[in-house]
Amino acid sequence: MVRLFLLAIALTVTLPSPRPAHAADTTAKVHEQDIPYVEACAREGLNASECAGRLIWFKATAGNDRFHTYVFQQRVGVLIDWFRVLRSDERGDRFRAWGGINDPSCCTPGEANCPAKSLDETYGLDWCPGDEELLKYVGKDGYRDPACDFRDAPLAEGDVHGPQDQRQSACDLKFGTSTGMLGVRKFPNPRFNLEQWVKLNGRAGSWEGYNGKIPAAAGSEEPAKSRLLDGSVEPPYLIGTACGSCHISFDPLNPPADPANPKWENIKGLLGNQYSRMSEIMVSGMATNTLEWQMFAHARPGTTDTSAIPNDQVNNPGTMNALINIPQRPVFAGEKVLKWRKVASCEGKTAPTCWCEPGRDNKCWEKSLKEETVHHILKGGEDSIGALEAIQRVYFNIGSCSEQCWVNHLTDLRVADPQQRGFGQTPFNIGQCRRDCPNFRAIEDRLVNVLDFFMSAEARATDLREARENQRRAADPAATYALQDLIADLEKEFGEGAVARGQKVFANTCARCHSSQPEAAAGQFDALDFHKVDAKSGLRADWLGNDAPTLVSEVGTFRCRALHSNHMTGKIWQEYGSETLRAQPPDPNLKEPADGGRSYYRNISLLNLWAHAPFMHNNAVGPELCGQPENKANAFYAMRPRYVDGKDLSLLPPEQQPACWAYDPSVEGRFALYKASMDALLHPDQRMPKVTLLNEDVTLRVGPRLWDGTDKEKLVGFSLTIPANIDGRGVNAGTVGNFQHKTFVVDLVQAKFKPDEVEARLVKQWGPEEGKRILADLKGITEEVTSQPNGLIEALKKRPYLVKQIYSSCFAEIENAGHRFGEDLSDDDKKALTAFLATL
Amino acid sequence: MTLHRTARLLATAAAVTLLAACGAKEDKNPPDIPFAPWGEAHNAKPDFAELEAQHPLSVEDLYKITPKNLALLDQEQVDQIYARLSAGPIPEGPFEGDLFFPKGGSGKLRLSEIAGGGLKGLLVNVAGKKLDLMGEILWKGKVFYRDERLLRNRIEDLGPLKTVGLVEEGNDNPLTKITVDGKDQWLLFPARLYCGQSLLDGRRESIIIDYAFTDQLPGYRRMPDMMAGRDGFAIRDEIRMVRPGLYLGRAYIDRSFVVNFVLYNKAIDEAGKADYLKTGKTAEDCWTGTQQRKLVAAAQ
Repeated sequence: MVRLFLLAIALTVTLPSPRPAHAADTTAKVHEQDIPYVEACAREGLNASECAGRLIWFKATAGNDRFHTYVFQQRVGVLIDWFRVLRSDERGDRFRAWGGINDPSCCTPGEANCPAKSLDETYGLDWCPGDEELLKYVGKDGYRDPACDFRDAPLAEGDVHGPQDQRQSACDLKFGTSTGMLGVRKFPNPRFNLEQWVKLNGRAGSWEGYNGKIPAAAGSEEPAKSRLLDGSVEPPYLIGTACGSCHISFDPLNPPADPANPKWENIKGLLGNQYSRMSEIMVSGMATNTLEWQMFAHARPGTTDTSAIPNDQVNNPGTMNALINIPQRPVFAGEKVLKWRKVASCEGKTAPTCWCEPGRDNKCWEKSLKEETVHHILKGGEDSIGALEAIQRVYFNIGSCSEQCWVNHLTDLRVADPQQRGFGQTPFNIGQCRRDCPNFRAIEDRLVNVLDFFMSAEARATDLREARENQRRAADPAATYALQDLIADLEKEFGEGAVARGQKVFANTCARCHSSQPEAAAGQFDALDFHKVDAKSGLRADWLGNDAPTLVSEVGTFRCRALHSNHMTGKIWQEYGSETLRAQPPDPNLKEPADGGRSYYRNISLLNLWAHAPFMHNNAVGPELCGQPENKANAFYAMRPRYVDGKDLSLLPPEQQPACWAYDPSVEGRFALYKASMDALLHPDQRMPKVTLLNEDVTLRVGPRLWDGTDKEKLVGFSLTIPANIDGRGVNAGTVGNFQHKTFVVDLVQAKFKPDEVEARLVKQWGPEEGKRILADLKGITEEVTSQPNGLIEALKKRPYLVKQIYSSCFAEIENAGHRFGEDLSDDDKKALTAFLATL
Repeated sequence: MTLHRTARLLATAAAVTLLAACGAKEDKNPPDIPFAPWGEAHNAKPDFAELEAQHPLSVEDLYKITPKNLALLDQEQVDQIYARLSAGPIPEGPFEGDLFFPKGGSGKLRLSEIAGGGLKGLLVNVAGKKLDLMGEILWKGKVFYRDERLLRNRIEDLGPLKTVGLVEEGNDNPLTKITVDGKDQWLLFPARLYCGQSLLDGRRESIIIDYAFTDQLPGYRRMPDMMAGRDGFAIRDEIRMVRPGLYLGRAYIDRSFVVNFVLYNKAIDEAGKADYLKTGKTAEDCWTGTQQRKLVAAAQ
């Protein structure tokens, strides 16, 4: 691929339009680094709008380079070691370590045909197309972002803000160039000072002075630091992320021969990266004995806790949703949605709810409550005000407009005073963000293109039949592999008639939740045809999920994700949740707070299950996956095996730990993983329990942690240590993230000064006996702490229920429990079900 | 500019006196400037973006603020002022300084109490005196070395530090002394200066005074300088410019807010007043964000 760029005309080339119908401009000039993307549009058959949306999805950071370079580090206090993740000399290990997908167009400097000859030229990272220009601006102003050359698709007919093109400048999409990991982008840092960098690191291509560990003066029990903490050091690049950083994946129909060296035709944009260790990336600069590392770094590959940054103190990693056959996805009519809608004028309207962009011709929005037909998106359907807005919110998830719009609304975990800003979340204001952040407008004005991409052929189902046919065609271009061939092969493995039998089992056992056909909703399961094609879309008609909410206690799976609270009234993403969502009654079977629309999981799609194991929202049902990188410092599974003794949650000894499965995106690898995961799903009594345990004591600190250099004593502050073991039982790592330490601290204080108020509240929540017990313990702790400066740790160890239950947002422990539906089926029925689902 | 040259410059600098910065009348009354309504709870405070849009400050408003009358405001009012400021230029030269407690505060320097988030009854306070001492010597006079992006603190009296054994002296690293306004002062606690994130208001950058890696800076001496560093109190200050010559600061210990402070240079204030009143414009070294800052100048 590099050769292609060496041969390419200097800055721009002219390519034919990907598809004649709806094409924007058949002579469109394409930025050099966009060539593979335009080729992909042609390969997938995307029209101009879909192709524009694809490019945005893959490349647009919308200004979050400042978030990933400054805000997360300085404001949130979490360090990313971008060099550790992106260093070009470990390009071959990147997928195994971080699950990142290498950009096929990039290369390691010094390798044959790589335009950069030395790592010093690229400051240690890959060389990627566009860097011939970008590198000139490291340490300088004046870089012209490649997004400025973005060719917009024609405005949609009937756009309220049209027909005049009033879209925000495409420059504000901010593409930069690839870092070598797809979806992760780089920008030249104008503040970079080469002389200072070389003084710190020894040479331009090294980061060892910047990211090298500096032991704490007080000893090894304190986390080591590094200059990553030093805001005065400006790295050569600002690093941003596109939505694709989590959603770009390998194509199950055409997997790479070598996952570390994929080709463009192996890449898909919407299926979700099942191997991504985004959480570990986000804390890659933190020591493992920090609170931050413990809170982030226990998501399974392919999952991430999207409320780790806008933290709601509910530990809840979830998978990147596979976006498949979206035109067939169920929608829900009549939901009450308060949101901003495009209008042609604000005449006669008041400012807070109607706003027109200055300098534009009636480019206005009005906020109003209406009934709408919407999707249910996110695990519990929380993003429920419309598909466009759900896409819009993804950009905040990845850090865009953070400074202008939302970091001021976050919880500061260190603020313990309920009167101080930062004690808790406040709602993000979409109208304010539209007004104040040009990157927001750049994305918003093109959301329809991204949605068109979602609806495009790139999201079409990737059936096992087609994958196997592709395999055969690699050897014989004329080879075919029909559905009947697949069925025949499946029945060799699962028994004669297994597929037909499995279809009946599925209809009668699963379709109640996992079918989008109206007959299923009506309980008419016998008539269901799961393979029929929708005449309008040409896609399989059944989405194999109804997206309706189901009480988490009914599903029984790890419930913390369902207790996620960011879409509740008063919380940061309030404006992205519908009133209908928030009106859902709480699950009556839970003891944890479950109001405000929480405590549900939507019934997900089972399309292409063969390619998307392991299962459940946390990827916990099925084998554990691991990358087994050569650099053992990045062997994250080895740091945290998860199989425990179900009796006491103690970690099983190494010899009893089932081996993790190495990443294998091949057709055979996916199918083998699917079968093992189906086996685990349908035999819940045989699942070895999994719990992500603390592997060391973790201390939460409210207020400063100090050492004065003379007596090695902690001077001032308020610290709570969560022991790795309480009463002989291991402690779930999620306990740290779920512990409502602020409420606990406030209650502790109030128990001393306003005991009656605290008692009334505790009795109301927990009942008379338990409420009084809690208050007595709070008072006891206060006395013990007053008499013993470090008494809090011991005081809590004596009362572990306070940490694990009373002040926990979620006290579920077994991560692979639940969804026991089908466990009573016969073994033959289970085999049949496994065979049938492999055909969908 | 080298440390030595700056010391000489300081020695000849015009006298600057914080208390003499403004008249007594202005100092005794809170500045009459607009604020958004607020409540006690954290979520009853106005969003800064809306505050700035609805209640912009004028340049005249900024000249109603004195280093003393800020202490007559509530903390929320101080925060609302800070949020409506920009970083301005990274300062150069000597500034007088003082910390202040908002209205309702004790007025007595007890960092060891407030560092725990006001949770006095639960505070682990083993060596609070040392922390209180830090408060008495930091956030006073400072010297900015703009070109080197360095700052040092001016300490008039080493006695309290020596009393608790926190000053190391040796021939290989002698204490640096300067004379300001006829008084000997010692330069201690070196810190980095850079543009960075405000821990209160992310909409635009602040000037950061960061002691985390003080041990990497020229002139560092382990005691007492490490007390402010990453293994000590981990002090990090941020400042924004009220007007040329006057900066409002927020001090953090290990990322927890502890106290407000002001930095003032009378000569710069007086020299820049006429122009700033007229234009409302000054140099900006840091990222100013994308929300339009509404600062109404007299001439506009």
